[in-house]
Amino acid sequence: MRWGMVVDVRKCVGCQTCTIACHEENALPPGIFWRHVVDVEVGEYPDVRRAFLPMGCQHCAEPPCVPVCPTGASQQRADGIVFVQYDMCIGCGYCAVACPYRARHMIHDQEWYFMAPTPSEKKAHDPERHGVMSKCTFCKHRVDKAPAGATPGVDPEYTPVCVSSCIANAMHFGDLDDPTSNVSRLREEHQPGVLLEELGLKPSLFYITE
Amino acid sequence: MTPTGTRKVPTYCYQCVAGPDLLNVVVEDGVAVKVEPNFGVTEHPAGGRPCVRAYGLVQKLYNPNRVKSPMKRTNPQKGREHDPGWVAITWDEALDLLADKLRTIRDAGFVDENGYPKLAVTFGAGGTAPAYLGGFPAFLSAWGAPLDQGIGSGQGMKCVHSEHLYGEFWHRAFTVAPDMPTTTYVLSFGNNGDVSGGVIGVWRHAEARGRGARWIQFEPHMSVTAATAARWVPIRPKTDAAVLYAILNGVLHEHAWRRVCDVAYLSRMTNAPYLVGPNGYYLRDAATRKPLVWDEKRAAAVAFDTPDVEAYALEGEFTVAGIEIGPDEQMIEHASTTARPSFQLLRDHVKPYTPEWAAKVSDVPAATIREVTREYLEHARVGATVEVEGVTLPLRPVAILLGKSVNNGWGGYECCWARTLLAALVGALEVPGGILGTTIRLNRPSSNRLESVRPGPDGFMAQPLNPTSKKDWQARPTSRSAHKTLVPLVSDGSWSGALSPAQLPWLFMGDPPPKWPEPTPPEVWIVGRSNPAISCWDSDLVMSKLKRFPFVAAFAYTQDETNWFSDLLLPDATDLESYQLFRVGATKYVESYWEHQGVALRQPVADSPFDTKDLTDVGTELSRRLGLLERYNEALNRGVALGVPLKTAQYDVSLDASTPHTSAEIWDRACRAATLALSKGREERDLAWFSEHGVYLVPFSRLNWYLHPEMLRKGLRYELPYQERLKRIGAELRARLHEQDIHWWDTQLDEYQALPPWKDFPEIWVDIARRHGKKPEDYPLWLLTSRSMQYSWGSQVSLPLMADVARHVRGHFGIMLNAKMAALHGIDEGDEIWVESPIGRQKGTAMLRAGVRPDVVVAIGQFAHWATPVAEDIQMPNLNALEPIDLSLIDATGSGSDLVRVKVYRTRHGDR
Ligand code: SF4
Ligand code: SF4
Ligand code: SF4
Repeated sequence: MRWGMVVDVRKCVGCQTCTIACHEENALPPGIFWRHVVDVEVGEYPDVRRAFLPMGCQHCAEPPCVPVCPTGASQQRADGIVFVQYDMCIGCGYCAVACPYRARHMIHDQEWYFMAPTPSEKKAHDPERHGVMSKCTFCKHRVDKAPAGATPGVDPEYTPVCVSSCIANAMHFGDLDDPTSNVSRLREEHQPGVLLEELGLKPSLFYITE
Repeated sequence: MTPTGTRKVPTYCYQCVAGPDLLNVVVEDGVAVKVEPNFGVTEHPAGGRPCVRAYGLVQKLYNPNRVKSPMKRTNPQKGREHDPGWVAITWDEALDLLADKLRTIRDAGFVDENGYPKLAVTFGAGGTAPAYLGGFPAFLSAWGAPLDQGIGSGQGMKCVHSEHLYGEFWHRAFTVAPDMPTTTYVLSFGNNGDVSGGVIGVWRHAEARGRGARWIQFEPHMSVTAATAARWVPIRPKTDAAVLYAILNGVLHEHAWRRVCDVAYLSRMTNAPYLVGPNGYYLRDAATRKPLVWDEKRAAAVAFDTPDVEAYALEGEFTVAGIEIGPDEQMIEHASTTARPSFQLLRDHVKPYTPEWAAKVSDVPAATIREVTREYLEHARVGATVEVEGVTLPLRPVAILLGKSVNNGWGGYECCWARTLLAALVGALEVPGGILGTTIRLNRPSSNRLESVRPGPDGFMAQPLNPTSKKDWQARPTSRSAHKTLVPLVSDGSWSGALSPAQLPWLFMGDPPPKWPEPTPPEVWIVGRSNPAISCWDSDLVMSKLKRFPFVAAFAYTQDETNWFSDLLLPDATDLESYQLFRVGATKYVESYWEHQGVALRQPVADSPFDTKDLTDVGTELSRRLGLLERYNEALNRGVALGVPLKTAQYDVSLDASTPHTSAEIWDRACRAATLALSKGREERDLAWFSEHGVYLVPFSRLNWYLHPEMLRKGLRYELPYQERLKRIGAELRARLHEQDIHWWDTQLDEYQALPPWKDFPEIWVDIARRHGKKPEDYPLWLLTSRSMQYSWGSQVSLPLMADVARHVRGHFGIMLNAKMAALHGIDEGDEIWVESPIGRQKGTAMLRAGVRPDVVVAIGQFAHWATPVAEDIQMPNLNALEPIDLSLIDATGSGSDLVRVKVYRTRHGDR
């Protein structure tokens, strides 16, 4: 089993609903976004294209961010999810340097949106995440909760929140190894590409562009 | 006792008119921590998901910059430079103070010496306010006397105003949407639906792209919607009508119109065959006064509703006898005259508007215009049908959409007319795949568009127009926006005051035009969810008038630029703190049309962190203090504010009128009544049930999306292409105003034309420099604004979370300029620049883009706050501060387009 995502770039409107939903789900401090949507413009007037590219950790099958970690905090699970074991992280930042997708975010100090934490910030923040590296976890806390009979990617409760909150139905999550899964079917049908393919890191995020 | 554990509390978001959308708030140990979609509501067309703004609701609840208790002004001097000197008071003191002021009005008379109501209320943000006002509107009803809603907070400038008024007139379309689930081709003129269309709009557009639908976006800059479109066509601002006219020209002259148009639809569903006499009025049968059509088979003129006409003449010229009825019942008799079908007049009218002509005006190549015309006609599939729930209907999967600033202000009428007409030409009006109205506001019942279709004059729908006859015209304005006096189309309902020239009070207060009762500052102004000092044009002018308001009570979330001038701040309970049951589904604003209808509950999800009050309780308390409790409860029983009567022949859950009730009690009754009504008496659900389940839905037939079957049933026609009624009304209104020696509205009266010609719309804005003693050539660029999904409708400006998210949107917090044009001006990415119009200048950061026309600069949203916490730290220019409120920019419906001519240049060190 290997979790992955297929992003239909034709559908994305760059609304950042997924960005804010992720931020809220994971109770992230100001300025830290594990994923966001890049708003790119290419060409010269009047021949211009503008596109929206949801970006986050690509959960590479061969992640350079894992072996560089001196403590073993940066890990990859058998199902492909790359994550940081916070209590082992010393915040050295090697992994962030190694990641070509700029998907890792150091949380220096817990900061609040106002002078003091609001009741919701106080309640939801994760004290384990001070002074450590952080990144998209593929919402493993949701995925792992799926009871027998429920399928992450099909049941929104157990799906990464960016996917289930998307208001354009632009993102799909599922098992890349299962040929019958939604993501496998989409790959079959649209032959989506990956970002920076030439690096050979075998990302788990696929992008339908045409 | 604080509850423990995790709960999901269902509620709705209606922070923009495209909702309401449904969501859950996750509450841990009594503290709201996050927002989630409500996936359980599978009936929601976008799968129960809310948009980015809804995720700000938790921060909105706990924002420490909120007004935390009622406050009273201590500094009698009002002005931007004078701190109000707020002191905290109790709710009892606050409500006593307001009640005293209101009692003074009741005792001394409701209307002032100039004829204006002494009480005025302004609740901005179009249709969203009613979803948050709780029972307060029942208090306004119990007030029982005129109140003025005509003090504008941006109405007409920030909405799609001409579309509202003409749309509702032509096809019960206060807002217009494509039948997106079926449409295959959209021509959009500045309609930024992927930002402003709400989650349902975004969802359906994306689905359509997935199945290969084609969307062409004409817009001066590459907005989000232009980015997702198949093609972006950069168009010169305010020239959309020229391109639309050229498409009309193409359909009617470059193509074989009999082949590409829906001739049967034109003949039977529009006034295309109506004969028009030499004076421009319908030629009518002298005895019955019915408009005549030419029956080719009989070779004779017959009344339009003659049942067995086989072939209506749409072309030609005929010699007939009859009468024309001009303004003021003026009868013009013709023993024999030449008359032509209105369709023939239309063809003649659009003849000069060739693609080559439009290309010169609009900068859109003639070849592009021809190409989209051809595509439009191909996709229209004239003749095709589709079965909807067992009923066969025409299928015309093409839609033309207009955006804000295209469909309001000068040129709005022409664009709306051409767009609606292009739909009618191919039979795509109000049928599957075509363009649909989704809500009504001027006709009744407002909850049911189809029921509002009633037979009116000459085979068209009835419309509650404000009278223009000598006998019934309202010569003395009854509202400060003069809706009954100046705007016949807007009628006289609860929304009419706000839907009129609501800029006039700001312009005329202290400086009335000749022969016009000066709009007085209201003795009491209640303002809420609205910040005219930011959202209206000419902020300085607005503030200079605000100073003179003797008593302002503001429902206040934070300090803001308008309530800075108030006397009383009342922190009402907001989204997640108060009760309200609200209609969802059916067909509502924008693209919110469902295959279900029902009601959803907004409810307190956690304890309010501050001393706020539910607006329903505020309504109850004010009514009690003023001795209006019984009337207030009776208004609630009639369904005012609740959206459903508490007592009908089928059920009775009414409130005891003699005693006060809590908000929870009142909304409990609304829950019961609404479910009894929706289930036709089978089910009754109370507040406790809704607190858990959030929403109650029943099926809503898709057939109800379309007006067409209803029009057929009632044998009615759309009043297109020929605007005989408007021509007559305009002539009458001109006569009435001139009888009063009022001439300053003359330009507006020119809009009432049966077939509107193109006018040089851009020149109206160019001329503003001259009117302000400046040289037009010094202001070579157009400043435009565009919506932000993160910020539109304003309730998010004080949330730092939203700013944090919005910075990912290209150009969001800067002034967007064409990169090459910027280079010519020596401006680099990130430079601090001035944007200067003839009335002022604003600072911002240059953001260079390829996707902006070289003659255009764009500033998203409306900022430039100076009192609202958090927002005051965002350095963004606000178009509103640079745009004068000027009679020459106000059209006949009272609206104006958001654009202004400017120059840009780098700031110099030390500039302020
Ligand atoms: S995207 Fe970066 S952080 Fe994520 S797995 Fe790949 S290298 Fe590691
Ligand atoms: S929510 Fe969906 S449409 Fe919006 S930015 Fe994210 S991926 Fe794109
Ligand atoms: S689209 Fe409008 S109503 Fe729907 S969630 Fe967003 S702000 Fe709320």
